[in-house]
Amino acid sequence: MKNRLPQIFFLLSFISLILLLWAIRQASTPSWKSYQRAFLQLEAQGEPNAAAKAAVLSTPLHIHQVMLTGLQRVDRCTTCHLGVDDPTMKNAPEPFRYHQGLGPHIASKFGCTICHGGQGLATTKGDAHGNVQFWDKPLLAREYIRASCGRCHKEGEVPGVPELTAGRHLFETQGCRGCHKLNGVGGSIGPDLSEEGASRRSPEWLERHFLAPNQVSAGSAMPNYHFSREQARDLTYYMLSLTSEDMGSYYSSVRLIPSAEYGRELFTQKNCIVCHSVGGAGAKAAPDLLGVTQRHSSEWLDEQLVNPQYVYPGSTMPEYDLETNARKALIAYMGTATSDDAQAILSHHTRPVSPGDVSIEAGKEEFARVGCAGCHGRELEGGLPNPNAQGGQVPSLLHISDDYTKDEILAIVRNGRAPPLENAKGPTPPLYMPAWKNVLSEEDIHQVVDFLWSRQQKAKDSW
Amino acid sequence: MKFFTDIWRSIFRGESLSTDKGKSELVFLNVWLHIHPAKVKKEHMRFKHTFYLGFITFFLFVILVTTGIALMCYYRPSTSQAYQDMKDLQFVVFLGPYLRAMHRWAAHGMVVCVFLHMCRVFYTGSYKRPRQFNWVVGVLLLLLTLGLSFTGYLLPWDQLAFWAITVGTNIGSYAPLVGGQLRELLLGGHSVGEGALLRFYVLHVAVLPSIVILLTIVHFWRVRKDGGLSRPIWKLKGRQPEQELVTIGAPAQPALRATAVSTSKTYGLMEVVTGKPIFETIAPDEEDDAVFAHPYAFFREAIALMATVTTIMATSLFFRAPLEELANPAKTPNPAKAPWYFLGLQELVSHSAFIGGVVAPALMVVALLAIPYFDRNPSRRPSDRKWAIGLFTVFVAANIALIIVGTFFRGPGWAFVPPWVHVVTGAE
Amino acid sequence: MATLFSGVSVSLGAVVRYLVPSVYYEPPQSFKIGNPADFAYGAPSFLAEEKIFVFRDREKGFAVASAVCTHLGCTVAHFQSDQKFHCPCHGSVFAADGSVQHGPAPKPLQWFEVTMARDGQLRVDKEKAVPSSYRLMV
Repeated sequence: MKNRLPQIFFLLSFISLILLLWAIRQASTPSWKSYQRAFLQLEAQGEPNAAAKAAVLSTPLHIHQVMLTGLQRVDRCTTCHLGVDDPTMKNAPEPFRYHQGLGPHIASKFGCTICHGGQGLATTKGDAHGNVQFWDKPLLAREYIRASCGRCHKEGEVPGVPELTAGRHLFETQGCRGCHKLNGVGGSIGPDLSEEGASRRSPEWLERHFLAPNQVSAGSAMPNYHFSREQARDLTYYMLSLTSEDMGSYYSSVRLIPSAEYGRELFTQKNCIVCHSVGGAGAKAAPDLLGVTQRHSSEWLDEQLVNPQYVYPGSTMPEYDLETNARKALIAYMGTATSDDAQAILSHHTRPVSPGDVSIEAGKEEFARVGCAGCHGRELEGGLPNPNAQGGQVPSLLHISDDYTKDEILAIVRNGRAPPLENAKGPTPPLYMPAWKNVLSEEDIHQVVDFLWSRQQKAKDSW
Repeated sequence: MKFFTDIWRSIFRGESLSTDKGKSELVFLNVWLHIHPAKVKKEHMRFKHTFYLGFITFFLFVILVTTGIALMCYYRPSTSQAYQDMKDLQFVVFLGPYLRAMHRWAAHGMVVCVFLHMCRVFYTGSYKRPRQFNWVVGVLLLLLTLGLSFTGYLLPWDQLAFWAITVGTNIGSYAPLVGGQLRELLLGGHSVGEGALLRFYVLHVAVLPSIVILLTIVHFWRVRKDGGLSRPIWKLKGRQPEQELVTIGAPAQPALRATAVSTSKTYGLMEVVTGKPIFETIAPDEEDDAVFAHPYAFFREAIALMATVTTIMATSLFFRAPLEELANPAKTPNPAKAPWYFLGLQELVSHSAFIGGVVAPALMVVALLAIPYFDRNPSRRPSDRKWAIGLFTVFVAANIALIIVGTFFRGPGWAFVPPWVHVVTGAE
Repeated sequence: MATLFSGVSVSLGAVVRYLVPSVYYEPPQSFKIGNPADFAYGAPSFLAEEKIFVFRDREKGFAVASAVCTHLGCTVAHFQSDQKFHCPCHGSVFAADGSVQHGPAPKPLQWFEVTMARDGQLRVDKEKAVPSSYRLMV
């Protein structure tokens, strides 16, 4: 044994050398290199002469990386997907195919994963596409990719993605906020949805959940709203867009799509009609805006919006803190605004109402906005099952004036209430009345109760 | 040509390794190698006695330092960067996944080997006088190894790392009086975050390795001064345990036969002695049993080194180091487990936080440290030490059993679930 | 002995290759600057982030010069009045073709290769130096 020692040592050293060479070989032949070689072959085919072909084929192989400091991510997808910005690769096989329809969303400014999902840091196919353990954002299936537009374009219409607007509308009107918080507003009975797009739940799961919540989430208190397939898809799109993308200033400034429709929304929101008129309809305190885009350049109009004092020193026009694209939208709307438009806005704006009506209207809006309808129903009919609560369901609000004074209801809205139990020893009912004093102002609470009182059906009047 | 030979000779001053003088000079003229004796007795290098576990542990440490320094070139200890750097090591860096795997398996290996080495030292009774304090240094090195593994565990900043260290530091916080404050000092905050990552990094790459190196120097030095590497003295022919040579502080023993001065041997004056041998010397009549360190010992050490390196390299080729999702303080995995060497503790803690987190580990450490001072039995022969060996084996087996239960038999909610039962986890 | 030698050299090679980064967390050396139509004739366009001047000549086409002074790296300015590059740090002056007129600069300003990419945009490659007479005709 002893005189074999040098041989054993030599053998072990030799084995470790082989292992080192094997490791080096493994590290030197990653799969992306073969993809790049295949792409160069494809590119060389399109070259006219041998010299050009040789030049293309001798391009060094390296990892392509897009650093997106504004979006806080690094994407290496273009290491294999080399043809995304090359129109001559329109008919190339994947992964070399040209990416149609990108518009301003070029890879060098936006990367790939912000829309498609996946693991941008990876350089192997399986890991990069994200269908691996410990990566919870795999590539989005084709039918859901357009939902990603909503991650940045969170306001206004998104051309080509009507599902987002429809989903948002459904969310606001079906009373989802009654149980779910979104960006700080809403109830706590269900999970907070502010980051739903960034959760692990797959689009398929979300859609199935909207169609039949209890089948997907056993024991859930969420009722079945009997959505159609389209509605479920719209809501899923909206859910998928709920991420908190931390964007740099460049991305924030181009977030809003400057459409004339969005401009109209802003015009209404900011109450421009209170000072300006369009084609005669509106107030007289400021210039008429009909055809203003023909009289002034967009740069002038933009400056006017940013810094009214600069253009007209002494002007009483307030400084609106609008983002670049919001201003573009307003200016776009100015190009299309008519006096009929202004008339419509006016009629919405100045309905002859009594002070009491104002409160009731405001209360009705609050009722819808914070999601009371989610439990108490859009017509205040109640009826949602609430096991082991007295009566077994969420109460209707149409007859509360029979059993409670206004002050008692105000207190319940302010402080919340656990439902009285049917069976004292039974389980706690899943649904309860949350406390709204930290979400709604005192004025808001009064307005909501005013609204409720305006809807009371007196027992003796019910026939 | 002579010019180059001169340069060579000025660097390597010993004579040719084919002569006895040359072999000796290789050892005592060389700063890196002179911890060895120029000549060793073969009984000190018996594989079946020590299994070379001490050497292997040291070589694993060397592998860890070299791979660790390499990994430091690509790792930033910041919560916003660490995970991305781990992904870069996995996907972009040449040999990145391989180096990381080597580092991780060498780390696990070192924890295992330092424990096995301790067991070996106990079973061969090599901690007995005069080596008591070296055992203490060894226990300290064991604790430092666990500390290094623990601090390194956090650095990938994935779910596994984050929650293992959350659990681990929470176990530590049960220590009375100072537990909570110590935990905050360690974490640089109230919970595992930016401060914890940076402090753990500093501990892992600078503080703990420096202390380990210093204590290792003491450990090796002590081995030399205490009589050399462990040997099975009770098995050696013609030797009685009482003839074990003495060291400093021991009561007077009959002096060795006066050594005859030989005219053919060169004597170096190493130390002024007062007539009694201070450490083991090779008596002239035993000189035939002694062989030169080169090549006898060095080849064996070199083989231990290459075997360790080859094993780690092979393991790393076939098994990659795991990386879970990015650390998420809002999402606790169920169950959240400490690193495997602390799972025994976590198992105990699940029954009683105070017993498991404070009493048991403290008792274990104190008991370990006290062993050489409580053990009055001078004999190292196994048959004379049945109680000691039995007790220690129970201790080792209990530890291993606890770790096995914690690893394989605990599922979500720390429920007892045998590994052969399929556990259905909740959706998402 | 041979094993030792080959082992050491392979290991050294692996170490060096390990230390060479495979990706750089910097702006890329080869990048697109836009469509030819975006660039005016006559006065050069200065791209601050990429530190280059883009010249467009009606007869001869495009040329791209580095805006980094070869002395110690300050960004030079191009003056229309004398068609020269002036460095504000130590006063180096480069002629219209980049050669050093006077000042401490040791080498002329670099000119970079500009080519037409397949999507019709101009691509500049800072890793490919070209002579000052190089032009891309569009």
